Amino acid sequence: MTQFLTILLDGTSYGMVLFIISVGLTVTMGLMRVVNLAHGAFAMIGGYIATVLVLKLGVPFLLATVLAAIAAGILGGLAEITVYRPLYRKGELPQVLLTIGLCFVAIAALTFFVGPTPLPAIVPAWLDQMVDIGFRLYPAYRLFLIVVGGLLAFIVWLIIERSLFGARLRAAVDDPQMARSVGMDVSRMFTITFVGGCALAGFGGAVGAGVLPLEPFYALRYLVYFLIVVAVGGMGSFRGSLVAALAIGIIDTAGRYTVPQFGGFLLYLLVFALLLWRPNGLLPPKSVA
Amino acid sequence: MKRVWAATTIAAMMVGASVAGVSSAYADVVKFGIIMPFSGPFAVLGKQAKEAVEAFQKLNGKTVNGHEIQVIWRDEGAGDAAKTRQFAEELILREKVNVLGGFALTPDALAVAEVISEAQTPTVILNAATSIIPRKSPYFIRISMTAAQYISPLGGWATKNGVKTAYTMVSDYGPGIDMEGEFTSSFERGGGKVVGKDRVPLNVTDFAPYMERALQSKADALFIFAPGGAPSVAMVREFERRGLKQAGMKLMGSGEMQEIFLPSFGDSVLGAISSNHYTESNQRPENIAFRKALNDSTGREAVPDIVAVAAWDGMQLVYATVKSLGPKFTGDQAIDFMKKQTINSPRGPVSFDPKERDIIQNVYVREVRKVDGKVINVDIATVEQVRDPWKDNNPNAK
Repeated sequence: MTQFLTILLDGTSYGMVLFIISVGLTVTMGLMRVVNLAHGAFAMIGGYIATVLVLKLGVPFLLATVLAAIAAGILGGLAEITVYRPLYRKGELPQVLLTIGLCFVAIAALTFFVGPTPLPAIVPAWLDQMVDIGFRLYPAYRLFLIVVGGLLAFIVWLIIERSLFGARLRAAVDDPQMARSVGMDVSRMFTITFVGGCALAGFGGAVGAGVLPLEPFYALRYLVYFLIVVAVGGMGSFRGSLVAALAIGIIDTAGRYTVPQFGGFLLYLLVFALLLWRPNGLLPPKSVA
Repeated sequence: MKRVWAATTIAAMMVGASVAGVSSAYADVVKFGIIMPFSGPFAVLGKQAKEAVEAFQKLNGKTVNGHEIQVIWRDEGAGDAAKTRQFAEELILREKVNVLGGFALTPDALAVAEVISEAQTPTVILNAATSIIPRKSPYFIRISMTAAQYISPLGGWATKNGVKTAYTMVSDYGPGIDMEGEFTSSFERGGGKVVGKDRVPLNVTDFAPYMERALQSKADALFIFAPGGAPSVAMVREFERRGLKQAGMKLMGSGEMQEIFLPSFGDSVLGAISSNHYTESNQRPENIAFRKALNDSTGREAVPDIVAVAAWDGMQLVYATVKSLGPKFTGDQAIDFMKKQTINSPRGPVSFDPKERDIIQNVYVREVRKVDGKVINVDIATVEQVRDPWKDNNPNAK
């Protein structure tokens, strides 16, 4: 039982990091059908900014993660206007090539300016300790990730499911042409969503650095996981991405704990089976279901 | 007018050519082609090597007896055997390098074996650590280390210092499995017992479940191995965060605790034991000179790693070769000369097993300690002149 709860906590905290980073990707991919492989780069840049703020300027951890989110959001907005917009009408191949190219640019830039070694952890002392949670001592940092992830999921849920903007966004994901013809400014909506998604990614990169360590190769190293969340959850589905991220975190953790000899590919086998069963993901939006 | 101009141009060109021809008879260019990663997940290795080579040339000059030593770099990338082979061919055929070197990863070193055998190009391995490599071509000589060599003293040290049971956690690839085998056999020879083992896939970044298993095993020590960089840093961080140290487990490893990685960890890495052939803070005059040269050349407080020291010694080897043999030598002459050398390396005395063309060096057991506010490795035991144990256990493997 203790082991079961430990796996659940480990998996959930890991899944929450995946969720925070990937939710923006799933919404933008669902909304504009742009294959944005550079999403991990925004998470990485957010993490780097937070690390520099904490280590060089002594900014408190929480403030640094928020500033990192804002910076990643601004960068995302600039990239959307200058680089992504001309891409929307192009096919998938140019999108893949250009966004993977952005990834390489980010990797090379960080290697050049910051250096290729992994960055020191910026988890503050008040989080970097063990707390008694009744049945065992458990790292406070992971509990913090679960709380923050849950809180963010709730906020994103409020925005998407309970606000006018969210209603429009869902409508645009479900049927972009119809949304346009009733007068919604879909491309402005996309810029806003893109900025929000990048900000969340930057925040996730900063706050999750203890689980996904920061180094220049980050942008590609974890991309597979982010894309799995999107594919399994269903492109454009907020709820799908939450379910998928948590499921991936828990299954991956449980697999590696109980059958470490299969740990490496258990997750991929399950994803493979699931996509055979439901090619559009667990909870796809109506337009593709 | 036009004709006069053309004639003078031709004359000038001829004079220029003859001057160049004459000078080359006295002062040749010796080319040393190095293939190391400058992009991708192992880029730190290329950076370390390049900084060391540049520092060496700043300190010792770019010429030996008037012959210029020119270093030509190629990017090994994320490890691509076909590309590395192509670079080796290009360096040998087009650049006509006299000596080849580098190779962060074993598959890349193996990929050039055929090429250098055919071209008879002496080739200095600056990192790749799988034991068998120099047996793949008579023109290989290794100045880095083998995995089995630098881990061999650790198991014995552990059993003599109160560690009775151990859990092993290694990355699931060639060197990781070599490490696991070498540690386990030396630990069990000393009377220790390995109570559990995990082989972690290379792409894993969340080590929580593995550390949880290790914690539940209640072993005295955890032996880890992961390739230096993000994987090894994540492994040690999870060890810290999950409180294995508070539970009384000793962390033991090798390259994970190199000084360049120590700032990535918290204070709970203090007390970790590692086995390695280079201790960054050792006080040998060669090491002090090496670190000073690096600081002067890079303009910052540079922390060298095992690749930096291998590149530095590789340059010593090449300079010594040109000094004795002159700028023109065959592959056989160069290898014959190199394998008889003894180098006063920043890591300690270094020589070669002439039959295997593989390195013989001291291996140090170190503990991570805080000295004057800085977290560094401190030598606590030294095993002198260690040969590669794998070669002795596998005398006929090809």
